[in-house]
Amino acid sequence: MALDRNKLYSILTIACVAGYSWLYISMTNNLTESKSVEVCLIKHVTNIPCPSCGSTRSIMSMTKGDFVGALNVNPIGYIVALIMLMAPIWIVVDLIMKNNTLFNTYQKMETLLKRPTYAIPLVLLVIINWIWNIAKGL
Amino acid sequence: MEAQKVDMFIMSNGKFFEGHQINMIREKLLTVDDSKWAMLSTAQFKDPTTILIISILAGSLGIDRFMIGDTGLGVGKLITCGGFGVWAIIDWFMIQNATREKNMQKIQQFLY
Repeated sequence: MALDRNKLYSILTIACVAGYSWLYISMTNNLTESKSVEVCLIKHVTNIPCPSCGSTRSIMSMTKGDFVGALNVNPIGYIVALIMLMAPIWIVVDLIMKNNTLFNTYQKMETLLKRPTYAIPLVLLVIINWIWNIAKGL
Repeated sequence: MEAQKVDMFIMSNGKFFEGHQINMIREKLLTVDDSKWAMLSTAQFKDPTTILIISILAGSLGIDRFMIGDTGLGVGKLITCGGFGVWAIIDWFMIQNATREKNMQKIQQFLY
């Protein structure tokens, strides 16, 4: 069960495929834009947006070239977009070169994120973003 | 280590590990020397039931994954709203085993 290279890569691939297909579905169903929030469990149960609510809308405005609008909807969209753009390329390169640079980077990031000096500011940022989300009423 | 100590350890910590691993842990504990006892008896393991409760309540924020030490997966769950809500539900069933695996990794640091 311990996370090894292949497991991480398959999880990332599944996540990217799901992300891209979700994006495709949301883009083609542009008329019912309010539907894009309906997968979120927290939003369903409590009617309060979760910290990452709105990242779909954020990425959708990014694809239309509206980068300021994307930041206004939810800055987490930028992180998601970055991972979704980088992960597939990195995985393919790693698989072809038979390397595991992505896995090593992932593990390095994990140990970095566990340090309180990085963890506490990031948690605060997420909470501030969450408060902003609720205030915006996403 | 004495069989009595080992059995005491197994009795008080058995719930933190998978059933099929307990025999292996017992055999291994019988072979290691007594100096490890102090460390072993004070080791803190994560309770699968507690983590399951957290997973049900705050799984969409990835807090369950953060707590068992899977920071990377936790971040993944957090920024995707619990993996579009699907991963959060899958984790209700996976998280107990994941926690036991993490406990196993932890005890292996003491044993080898």
